[in-house]
Amino acid sequence: MARLLVQLKLRMLLNALRSSNAAKTSFIISSTFAVLLAIGTFLLLATFRGNSTSVELTAVVFTVFAFGWLLAPILIFGVDGTLDPATLALYPLRTRPLAAGLLAASFTGFWPIANVLGLLGVTVGLASGVLGIVIAVVAVVLEVLFCIALSRFVTTSLAGLLRSRRGRDLAAFLIIPLFALYEFFTQVVPKAVSEGKITSASFSGFDSWMRWLPPGLAAHAIQDAADGQLGLAFARLGGLAAVTIVFVWLWVRALGRALVTADTTTQSSRVRGTKLPLAGLGLRGAIFARFWLYQLREPLSLVYWALIAVVTAAVSASSVFGQKHHPGVILASAVFGVAFVGILHANSAGLTGPAFVLEATALGSKRDLRAYFSGQNLVLCVIGVPLIVAVCFGLAAAVGDLSMGIQATPVVLAGIGAALGLCDLFSAALPYPMTRRVGNPLPVPASGYAGYRLGGLIVLAGTGVLAAPAIAGAVLAANEPDVIRIGVLLPCAAVYGFVLATIGVRMGAKIAEHQLPEMCQVALRTAT
Amino acid sequence: MGTSEGPDTGLPRYPGTAVPRTDGAAVVVRGLRKKFGTKEAVAGIDLEIAAGSLAGLVGPNGAGKTTSLSMMTGLLRPDEGQILINGINVWRDPPAAKAAIGVVPAEVRLFDRLSGEELLEYSGRLRGLPADQARERATQLLDVLDLAGDARRLVADYSTGMRKKAALGCALIHNPPVLFLDEPLEGVDPVSGDVIRRLLARFAASGSTVLFSSHVMELVEQVCDHVSIIDKGKILVTGTIDEVRGGKTLQRAFIDRVGPRATDKEVLSWLGSSSS
Repeated sequence: MARLLVQLKLRMLLNALRSSNAAKTSFIISSTFAVLLAIGTFLLLATFRGNSTSVELTAVVFTVFAFGWLLAPILIFGVDGTLDPATLALYPLRTRPLAAGLLAASFTGFWPIANVLGLLGVTVGLASGVLGIVIAVVAVVLEVLFCIALSRFVTTSLAGLLRSRRGRDLAAFLIIPLFALYEFFTQVVPKAVSEGKITSASFSGFDSWMRWLPPGLAAHAIQDAADGQLGLAFARLGGLAAVTIVFVWLWVRALGRALVTADTTTQSSRVRGTKLPLAGLGLRGAIFARFWLYQLREPLSLVYWALIAVVTAAVSASSVFGQKHHPGVILASAVFGVAFVGILHANSAGLTGPAFVLEATALGSKRDLRAYFSGQNLVLCVIGVPLIVAVCFGLAAAVGDLSMGIQATPVVLAGIGAALGLCDLFSAALPYPMTRRVGNPLPVPASGYAGYRLGGLIVLAGTGVLAAPAIAGAVLAANEPDVIRIGVLLPCAAVYGFVLATIGVRMGAKIAEHQLPEMCQVALRTAT
Repeated sequence: MGTSEGPDTGLPRYPGTAVPRTDGAAVVVRGLRKKFGTKEAVAGIDLEIAAGSLAGLVGPNGAGKTTSLSMMTGLLRPDEGQILINGINVWRDPPAAKAAIGVVPAEVRLFDRLSGEELLEYSGRLRGLPADQARERATQLLDVLDLAGDARRLVADYSTGMRKKAALGCALIHNPPVLFLDEPLEGVDPVSGDVIRRLLARFAASGSTVLFSSHVMELVEQVCDHVSIIDKGKILVTGTIDEVRGGKTLQRAFIDRVGPRATDKEVLSWLGSSSS
């Protein structure tokens, strides 16, 4: 069974390589990242040698890997057919050999091998003496086995849920903390390290509790062996092995249950309201109503708004957390925030997917399409403006100067008009199908359309350029009384933004009138 | 041949869709062609569907049924040809043509984050119905389609049959004179299928026109009064059910026209309980 499932996994990897150039490219990029991860981890662990907190740092790295194994299968569920026990449920397989086979299949592939090779950096960074190196190798193998058992147990237990709509929704939301963490590590941590706020001693507190977790047991076992306390080292390894066995046992039980349990795809949810809002506003009101409900109910929309908030905050994060506060960065936050509203929505047909056909069978004239674009813009404004203004004021409060929030508001008002106008233009002129790729719960451009992302850069640059008068006004009026900044600049910026959005709507509708069949085909090719 | 003054369907009529007709034909297709790369999906179709008829378009998988229907409903631009719906040229005046038709595509993909009730109301409002009227018709249609109990559930949680019925409701809410359905009973259970069949028959009996594609011959034989057989992008034969089947079953007539695709003689000799 183990051999068969390992062969199955290898066959799937080879088939992915043969299926298309995009798949080949994706495989090469993924493998390159795996190799880089192995080299990077090995070097990182090796540099801990001689450091007074090397065991604590090693425990942190081991724990991060365990979390990676825990989260990755949830995010990339479906990448590996051997991961979902339901695909094997029809075959006459006994649970134990099946578990052994799935465990063996887990070790197959670039990423598991990269994990083992990378973690072997402890043989340089923490281990000492021949016996110490042997114990380090055993500890690494046990650590990876623990990671796999933990990951398999969680994946199998969640298999039914992850096949359901709610489970997939949940996975989509995981992208928000991951994106926020990414921004934190790229914007805040380097700044904090360069300013001496984070040092290796910062991790010493973690060790008091982390040493008792399985990854901490592995790290401390290597340290104990290096200190000559072999008995303690073996005891810790025994503890790690016992925990791993418990997870394997739990996994086998979960597997046995999953093979005979229906998934939860038929869970249903009811809505409270009975009427669509804005009944008096005709077609524009109908489009607003549908799009508004989607912003509230569709996880992807909620994820997009969270990403917009994170981007708006992240642009100023280095200033907020740093020692020097440049006033311009919050204006930059405002421009990036509104530009991302445009970037993330600049493909209406592709984002709506095949359901767009329902709208396309009713929309035909330029007037209908103007109502279509303006109805959607209205929703994006109603949510986007307060959200981005609130984040700007939050940033201003964090640096202790609320007037910077007031300064950013006209930029938001003008910028959102520019971004939405460009968004409508790109929605009509350059629609592209979207697809959901394994490894990413958010939809991405379908194969062959990645270049269309350039449109995002144009929306970003265009928003900056078109919002320039508002930026200039905000900077020039920085020291003027509030009556000028709020009473004059804000209405002027709002009118300017409205004019830009209206131009975008009219141009978009004119193009879409002739492009509607092509937009339908794009929508139908979109995988939801 | 029926007219629009036929028996009442029980569904409210939308006055805005009263459009002129040409020579009693609700759908006229002339020289329709479509190529995808080098493959000619539709190779010159001529077709006429009389007003008030319930017509079937049958063909094997990949025959060009969906491509043809997509072009007839303004969702796919043809390379050549002309399509008239009640005398309106679909590709010269798309808004007017779209006002006269209802469409249920093959792969029913709806706004699944709306409830069934919201979806039908939205569809009605998209078609220009006042909100109150759209809501009233949505309630009536959900009732007729046996979806009233699930009206407040999200469409995402509907089964295939329920989605097909919801899609049919969306296509009917503005009471179009011509209805296009692509594989309307694919994946639908017999009970839901019966609801759809009865509704279509009632709709056509009122003088409205229905054209639907299918590869289920029994269904076409039971429901339709006219049928066209399409294969490799061409109409092989068209006429009343009796004319096309010529004394045989429609299934037999279809296979005789299209030809068998493969033979299993002497290939699967191991298959069956007598072998190991």
